[in-house]
Amino acid sequence: MDIIILLVVLIGSLGLAVIFGRYMARMIVYEKRPLEKTLGRVENGFYHLIGVDKYEQMTWKQYFLALIVTNVIAAVFLMVILLYQNSLPLSPKPGLSIDLAFNTVASFVTNTDLQHYAGDQQLSIFSQMVGLIFMMFVAPASGIASCFAFIRAFIRKEFGLGNFYVDFTRIILTLLLPIAFISALLLLLLGVPQTLDSSITVGNLQGGNQTITIGPVASLESIKQLGSNGGGFFGANSAHPYENPNGLSNVFETILMLVIPFSLPIAYAHLLGRGRGISILAAMLIGFGVMLALGLSEHNGLTGLETRFGSFGTTLFMESSLATNTGSANAALSGLSPNAIIGGYLGMFIQAIPGADGTGMMTMIIFIILTLFIVGLMVGKTPEFMSMKITPRDVRLAAFVFLIHPAFILIPTVVAYTSENAQSVLGTPTTAATYNQVLYEFTSASANNGSDYLGTSANILFFNWSTALVMLVGRYAPIGLMLAIAGSFTTRDRKEIIEPIKTSGPLFVGVLSIMVFILTALTFFPFLVMGPFLM
Amino acid sequence: MRTLKSKVFSPSIRIVVLMIVTTGVAYPLLVTAIGQTTLPYQSNGSQVILNGKVVGSELIAENFNSTKFFQPRNSTDSGSGVDPDITPDEAYSQIPTISNATGIPTNALRTLVELDIERNKDANGLLFAPDYVRVLNLNVELVTQYPEIYQVSANGGP
Repeated sequence: MDIIILLVVLIGSLGLAVIFGRYMARMIVYEKRPLEKTLGRVENGFYHLIGVDKYEQMTWKQYFLALIVTNVIAAVFLMVILLYQNSLPLSPKPGLSIDLAFNTVASFVTNTDLQHYAGDQQLSIFSQMVGLIFMMFVAPASGIASCFAFIRAFIRKEFGLGNFYVDFTRIILTLLLPIAFISALLLLLLGVPQTLDSSITVGNLQGGNQTITIGPVASLESIKQLGSNGGGFFGANSAHPYENPNGLSNVFETILMLVIPFSLPIAYAHLLGRGRGISILAAMLIGFGVMLALGLSEHNGLTGLETRFGSFGTTLFMESSLATNTGSANAALSGLSPNAIIGGYLGMFIQAIPGADGTGMMTMIIFIILTLFIVGLMVGKTPEFMSMKITPRDVRLAAFVFLIHPAFILIPTVVAYTSENAQSVLGTPTTAATYNQVLYEFTSASANNGSDYLGTSANILFFNWSTALVMLVGRYAPIGLMLAIAGSFTTRDRKEIIEPIKTSGPLFVGVLSIMVFILTALTFFPFLVMGPFLM
Repeated sequence: MRTLKSKVFSPSIRIVVLMIVTTGVAYPLLVTAIGQTTLPYQSNGSQVILNGKVVGSELIAENFNSTKFFQPRNSTDSGSGVDPDITPDEAYSQIPTISNATGIPTNALRTLVELDIERNKDANGLLFAPDYVRVLNLNVELVTQYPEIYQVSANGGP
């Protein structure tokens, strides 16, 4: 039975990825899509209202600036909602404190969705709906848009990186929104509620009453999973029966997380060579396979888990959530086996197996550039990618992308302990298990994952501000650096010769996978030895 | 500065406003409208009705302090704290207590548990979940099948 669930998840997500990958390839190069006339008309209406010329191309700096400014404006809007939700409609609740509101805004705009609050208790329906659901479209659309610009850099010289506003509009209206809408209806059918009421009071079988929190859960749940967001309507996230009512919804939600990350290498295959795209997908699947194997190597006890998912359904969901940096959880992390947690760390450290919507694919290409550079040095050939020379600047920028991650995990973890803030939340003495929770907090923040052990107990000044900073750097610094790399590749001459190191085929997949593993292991091994390995 | 304003700030503000209306208002309201009209049971939290009265949500664990009923898990044992289900083994282990308290034969209780397991299997496409027992549904079944034993409870009050 377990093996059938696994096959349905893999075949389902890869099968849908074949369809959406082809579709996204058409979006990247502006080819005709199904219903092109209707879609085009709606989009033109939006461009008119936004005031952009859809044919205007942006440089990488313009593209990045447009992304940042749009994200900042969306963030300010969400900040105002969270601070003043007490005076807004739909079941008002007290406004959040400034540090918690800022943490939440940073968390949702960066596609992280780390939650130091319990949504069912602390947020109004208005905040959940107009604030968070909206932001759950903005964040993945920004990630996918940067990935589109990044892929365009390799298509041909001066093809152009595109226009951020055009990409952002098209990604929301013709990719995320239709899938989220249909998925929300499917989740509704499976039992996820959808109402504007904030609670229901029902009688009990034995007499008496109970009040149950409810709301527009289905419309949040679908984009939460599809957009690698992960922020739950309820504090218990996808473990809550209203977010994930049964085994079927669990399988469907797992597939939703994997679809877009798996689609991008397929889009790449359509645009830049079948073998190259399939090889990237294969490397991603190998990494994901290692995570699954680690997670499934130990059985989880039922404590902290939901009966309807069992050990297998829990592990499959959790490893998919950590592999795609969605960060939603269908169990308490403390209920997972140590091996499952180590598998999760692997996903958050690498961020590209397959990684979040858009940024996972970009990160994998960064690993390819680093691999070509290192392998090029070993065999004594000038490193080339897509028939273009890799310059020292490219390698420098790629190395920065790689190094930001450990720096923004390790330094804040140390600061949390030296400032005694970690001890104030987790108590003394510090054990492998409590250290693991702090390491996990910053790893999750830096990887823009969002799952965590601490939850509302981390709602203190130090953790709110520090994780907010880590999430912002972990999101925008790599995107900026990767767009800078794209900006220089798009103007570069292509040679007509065969690339000296082929970037496709089993040999390359093997080398790439080993390089990703070695680079990650060398960087992060010491962190793991001190905590997770000792649990 | 002027170009920055017209080229970046203005389109960014406009695109944010448009997307708030589209994704933050129109989308959830449309899903709500469709849900409330076509799937009212699910949309309103899967409320279980017995003799015309709402007796709980199928999806949210309910406390039962009488030994005449099947008991859900302790709230802190599960991931959600409101796990509506228990494992078949857990349900079987509760049968002797319930049989003692109610006088219902153990094999009759066992049959009801097995029927509930089958119902949940069907709801999960036979393959997509481990076997489990949905506690409230099972207890509602008990009250329906043995009204004379559960009469007091069904009318409210222990």
